[in-house]
Amino acid sequence: MKDILKTSVSRRAVLGTGLAGVSMLAMPSMLRAQDKSLKVGVYGGYFKDSFDKHIFPEFTKATGIAVESVAEPTGEAWLVQLEQAARAGQAPADVSMISQVAMLKGQTTELWAPLDAAKLKNMANLKETFINKYPDGRIAGIGAVSWYITLVTNTDVFKEAPTSWQALWDPANADKLGLLALVSNSFLLEVTAKSFMGGTNALDTEEGILKAFEKLAEVKPNVRLWYRDEAQFEQSLKSGEIPMGQYYHDVTGLAAADGNPVRSTFPKEGGILDSGSWAVSRASQKGEEAHVFIDYMSQPAVQATLSRKVGTSPTVKRELLDLTPEEFAAVSSDIDPVIPRYDLYQTKSDWLNQKWTELIVG
Amino acid sequence: MRREAPRHPLDYLPIAFPGLMLVVFFVVPFGTMIAVSFFRRDPAGFYAPDFVFDNYARFLSLFFANVLGFSLFLAMTVAIVSVALALPFTHMLARLPRKAQVVWLVALLSVLSLSEVIIGFAWSTLLSRTAGITNLFVWLGIMEQAQALTPSFGAVLTGMVYQAFPYTVLVLYPAIVRLDPTLTEAARTLGASPLKAFFTVVVPALRNTLVATVVMVFIFALGSYLLPQLLGRPQHWTLSVLITDQAIYQSNMPFAAAMAVFLVLVTLGLVAMTVLIGRKGEA
Amino acid sequence: MSGLALQNVVKEFGSFTAVKGVDLEVPNGTFVCLLGPSGCGKTTLLRMIAGLDLPTRGAIRLGGEDITAVPTHKRNLGMVFQSLALFPHLTVGENIAYPLRIRGIDKAAQARRVEELLAMIHLKGYADRPVSKLSGGQRQRVAIARALAISPKLFLLDEPLSALDAKLREAMQVELRQLQQSLGITTIVVTHDQREAMTMADTVVVMQAGEIRQAASPIEIYRRPADSFVADFIGQTNLIEAEATGGVASVLGVAVPGLTLPAGGKALLSVRPEDVHLTAPGGSAVPATVTFVRDLGGTIETFLDAGGRQVVAVSTPRERPEVSVGQAVGIQLTAEDCVVLKS
Repeated sequence: MKDILKTSVSRRAVLGTGLAGVSMLAMPSMLRAQDKSLKVGVYGGYFKDSFDKHIFPEFTKATGIAVESVAEPTGEAWLVQLEQAARAGQAPADVSMISQVAMLKGQTTELWAPLDAAKLKNMANLKETFINKYPDGRIAGIGAVSWYITLVTNTDVFKEAPTSWQALWDPANADKLGLLALVSNSFLLEVTAKSFMGGTNALDTEEGILKAFEKLAEVKPNVRLWYRDEAQFEQSLKSGEIPMGQYYHDVTGLAAADGNPVRSTFPKEGGILDSGSWAVSRASQKGEEAHVFIDYMSQPAVQATLSRKVGTSPTVKRELLDLTPEEFAAVSSDIDPVIPRYDLYQTKSDWLNQKWTELIVG
Repeated sequence: MRREAPRHPLDYLPIAFPGLMLVVFFVVPFGTMIAVSFFRRDPAGFYAPDFVFDNYARFLSLFFANVLGFSLFLAMTVAIVSVALALPFTHMLARLPRKAQVVWLVALLSVLSLSEVIIGFAWSTLLSRTAGITNLFVWLGIMEQAQALTPSFGAVLTGMVYQAFPYTVLVLYPAIVRLDPTLTEAARTLGASPLKAFFTVVVPALRNTLVATVVMVFIFALGSYLLPQLLGRPQHWTLSVLITDQAIYQSNMPFAAAMAVFLVLVTLGLVAMTVLIGRKGEA
Repeated sequence: MSGLALQNVVKEFGSFTAVKGVDLEVPNGTFVCLLGPSGCGKTTLLRMIAGLDLPTRGAIRLGGEDITAVPTHKRNLGMVFQSLALFPHLTVGENIAYPLRIRGIDKAAQARRVEELLAMIHLKGYADRPVSKLSGGQRQRVAIARALAISPKLFLLDEPLSALDAKLREAMQVELRQLQQSLGITTIVVTHDQREAMTMADTVVVMQAGEIRQAASPIEIYRRPADSFVADFIGQTNLIEAEATGGVASVLGVAVPGLTLPAGGKALLSVRPEDVHLTAPGGSAVPATVTFVRDLGGTIETFLDAGGRQVVAVSTPRERPEVSVGQAVGIQLTAEDCVVLKS
């Protein structure tokens, strides 16, 4: 029971859509009588709690800017809310943590206020992949946090850790897998492409994507659970009911540290690296403060704190971090990751979704 | 007392409030949904006012027909199983002393307070291989080896019937309590065994109530989208699951709205058919 | 003979004893009314005969056979409930055919029997009507026809006429009695209406507090009530105290010739109002004063005060007593007019 409660308030709280908006309206303004303040949208639940505890007070201390944190639902529901508010000249949050697909979708409507590189000295610390740019080169967003989805196993059932994503295809694992239920959050097409087709570039053409689907169809008999609810899979993984699958590296690490018989493995093809970026609504009046905030968050020391306290993978380069090898391994890996093809989910989202649904339901 | 037909606009005042509520909470949302279902989808996650049939066209495929068919079949099965279980249960409940009835009704109400998520988790644990009831069967020597009963159609059905059962009992209860208990006694004096009396008198005398209850539970079950995900395989996902996917994860409101409108229309059609058949049976 | 026999039947509901050791013989073909105030156990007794309640102790025999443990549906009886309990989902004909259908009798025979019964209850041509479209009296007859469809050995009715208005009720009482006589079926009716019992029954069984106070023919119950409860419950009566003085019973010091009292000296007499004869005061008449006269046209009720106790006299217009309020009169009591009640 305790586990269910703890984990259903999951950090990527997928099912909480809409609630965040309501609680935002209901919440009295927490602003103190300070001239400088900023509303920051963070995924509701674990993320918001952690940021409120470990990050925002330090930021206020360092800069004098008060932070009002806003719980946001993941991905596109928040995007739609921000866009509609922006059309009315409102900004429910000045800065928001935004998923990569939502970043791209927001760019099409110029939702994100372009950022000024001159005001972001620490931007140079970031890995190049964590800088979101408009097609014309303007900066739309800056990497906030990242996390890995890896191959996880129950150590009681699998004495040996698997080494490759190809284990998902192994006929010996029939009816043993738990995989994410949506094409746009499982990133299994990319995994298929990197494991069997030489890389995610194989998905550039529709033929390539269809081929990947074909290969992916072979996984179906092995899948016991296509999950949307993270808590359900985590519980089944711990008990051994569903002993293998894809799951968040950091959460699996925490569960193992609690003594559960689970392990997270970075396959030789790499873990799936997903991330969230900071982006500023074009309706925000707090451009200055927003730049200060984003710059602050891009410091190696703050990213290291995030890795230690929140469990996210750092967005700044490894060599700038003071993380010990153990601390680094707990959240990340040097193996070249599987980078999701976010562009596909923007341009072909309905087609991919339809093919995917037919694949797993049909 | 004779009721006069309203003559003056003010005579309609007493129904103004319920009428307003109906408009605010049903007509407006449903109208919005119909309107959105004809809007043009913007792949960036938004939609623009328009009048296109693309969303319905996409829905008209063998794939969605199968999903719709399964959803209706599942909801109907849940409705019939729930009523079949709840009828004898409620019949016995209505004959218990008042105190015992209150205890049972409170217990049922507390099941109602459980969310779909909790029911789903409870059943997925109960039906699991590692912690489920099959372990009890193994311990009792009925089974060789513990087995996973979920995900499966049976698990979805069990979870949904569990969820619908209290509703069913609460809907049946007033009608069954009102049913003259001497009807059963009369049947017995006329030569019917208690079981025969139940089927030849209680069931037919409650026919209209039973049909109404089946329709209500059917509609209730049609809206279920969490239990099929938690307890079923993808082929057991209902149209409601796909609607949720489109609305929440794909931000494809027009398509979600089109599917929802279609589901509502099919449901209304089925309900109307049931009512019509019921009327014919009456005459 | 050997009809229905109840032997020391007791029914307890928890600590409450509804029926306290009832013994009753009902010969075949007789019409018995169980009469008493509400809560006297008469309905419980009937339900035990029907098998709807099981006796706590005692035995019920029918035709010499012990049926105490036989379930209701195997007793082959007919019963009419106070609520009538017509099946709302069935038509008149289907209601009447129900016991035949349950017994698997073929359709043609069912239809013939339904026609017969409809003719008997004067509802020919009503077979296809829904029962909800019938009047109270018609529903009553349908309930009776349904109960009689299998020609049962025993016909039970629980307050069958209580829902009807007074006029219809009286007509139905007569009809029911005639029907029972023509069929010769053993019939037991529960009622709280003494007129109804007097009209229909061969034997009236007066019950009170779970016990039988008297079981006898209506006229005997009326003329010879066993105790003050029966005397008071059946019709109107005057209860007058009497005491024995010098071997002769006397009321208010006036001797009643020929009336003997059991040992003990004091007793209660029941004198029906129509047996109270008014005469001039003095002599062998009990002295009384007229307090009120109610002239109902058909009968005249004279209210009297006799030594502080109210006595009512009823007379016909032909024997109209020439009395007025305040007048001193005498009550002439004779031994045959007085019933000495068990104390």
